[in-house]
Amino acid sequence: MKEPITQKSRSSVSDNNGKLLSGHPVVRSIGFINWRGVWSLYVREVMRFYKISIQTLIAPIVSTLIIFVVFIVSFNESLNGKIDIPLSVFLVPGLIMMAIFQNSFANTSSSILVSKIQGNIIDILMPPLNPFELTLVFTLGGITRGLLVGLLCALAINFIVEIRLYHPLIIIIYAIFSSMMLSLLGLIGGILAEKYDHIAGMTNFVIVPLSFLSGTFFPIDLIPESWRILAWFNPFFHTIDGFRYGFTDHLDGELWIGITYILLINLFLSYVALKFFSKGYKLKN
Amino acid sequence: MDKIWTIPPKLRHHGIVNHRGLLTLYRREMHRGLKIWGITLAAPAVRALLFAGIFNLIIGDSNNVVLNLPYIEFLLPGLITIAILERSFESASFSMIYDKTQGIFGDVSMAPLTPGELIIAYCAASATGGLIVGVVVWFVLLPIGGQLPEEPLALIFFATMGTLIVGLLSQIVGIFTTKWDHLVGVQTFLFMPIVFLSGTFFSFDKLPASIQPFARGNPIFYIVDGVRYGITGYCDSDPLTGGVIISFCFIILLALTFLLFSRGFHLYR
Repeated sequence: MKEPITQKSRSSVSDNNGKLLSGHPVVRSIGFINWRGVWSLYVREVMRFYKISIQTLIAPIVSTLIIFVVFIVSFNESLNGKIDIPLSVFLVPGLIMMAIFQNSFANTSSSILVSKIQGNIIDILMPPLNPFELTLVFTLGGITRGLLVGLLCALAINFIVEIRLYHPLIIIIYAIFSSMMLSLLGLIGGILAEKYDHIAGMTNFVIVPLSFLSGTFFPIDLIPESWRILAWFNPFFHTIDGFRYGFTDHLDGELWIGITYILLINLFLSYVALKFFSKGYKLKN
Repeated sequence: MDKIWTIPPKLRHHGIVNHRGLLTLYRREMHRGLKIWGITLAAPAVRALLFAGIFNLIIGDSNNVVLNLPYIEFLLPGLITIAILERSFESASFSMIYDKTQGIFGDVSMAPLTPGELIIAYCAASATGGLIVGVVVWFVLLPIGGQLPEEPLALIFFATMGTLIVGLLSQIVGIFTTKWDHLVGVQTFLFMPIVFLSGTFFSFDKLPASIQPFARGNPIFYIVDGVRYGITGYCDSDPLTGGVIISFCFIILLALTFLLFSRGFHLYR
């Protein structure tokens, strides 16, 4: 015998004949954004890198410190006349930014690619999360790791050279926007890639060269005149330059051109990522 | 009574060394590295090119002389050595951990290969892989200021010894570690600092006098210095002393690796 239907069982589900059945799972109504889903996926993204924090948080600090020491010891004499600030102060922001770049990119790209290869991408595509929410969460995960690594690197370098903050707001804005850019790039890269080789290729042949040639290690004046225009098109140059302005008050490019350029690129990349997720390109096969 | 085994399977006899097994393992190791040549060959070349280009840009026309050499010529042998050593370190350790985590290391440990043969196969793969990367990087750096080796014999000796020492090191790491996490830890916290602070980018004269003895105790320094001697003819230390120290390191590591392989520490479970 079925239980009589009462007014109280409003949340129940009806069966085929239109009769209400009690004891069914309650349908959770979702507002404009599925906050619980977003939060769950975000926690998963953070736990992904937190669990292997030796690789994802500590290792970048060590490699940043090594490069820092090598550069200081090798070039302190030869560069000293060419920049109006000490080399150690000049290098710090660029190195922090590089760590942010590489880790933001690695976080999103590896997350998507590993899920694809292991076949559990379905766990991300099946839940009631729309493309916007997916893009948002993955990007936030990348930003979190990027900023965390950046902060830790800054703290570690602070033991060697005192870091000063001239324009904290600009530092924060640039850190967030650039980690967002690299997270989105990683997201798109992860969707496009089919093997680990592809991601390693993107890191080795695109991300690392662009960030190395972007004025991390040298002022842009050192580049020959005819090549300098190319540096202006490199978004990594603008991010590092603006970031450095926040730390040292030393600017090679233009602050507002840089931030507009990065914003536009971020918008474009978000659009591409959204399109990929909504089409399910290379995801829903 | 039926004779099922009219022709019993033949036992393959081999002498002291199981040539076929050794070659098979060597070929598998080589194939593993070369199949992903984008990561193992092209990426180190690009990285070395980037480093050389940037350092060239920074130093520019300021006539910075290290060890009687223009800085760029001082630097290039170091970059080549780093590429060689990184590849050698990756080859055996990555392969062994991959096998372990996938549970197929039995294919190696079950095969009729003695510890000595395992070591020879892994070492040979490390050496070949490392030297191939070295040649590629050397070739790529030619237009930036590379040159033909001045002392080819010394170059071959030091480069090969470098790959062998690091190859043995990577086997030891491969035996001890059971997770990718640990391997990456060893790579970033031990291997990278030792290699990068081994006088690749700067002469030790620039270091504070209190640190110098420690820096000179680093065996990788003698490899880098030996390769530099082989290519440019100039070096920081006496090449003969360096050769002796390196050979000594090699023998110790060889004995240790042999012991670990024959004990099967963390391997044969």
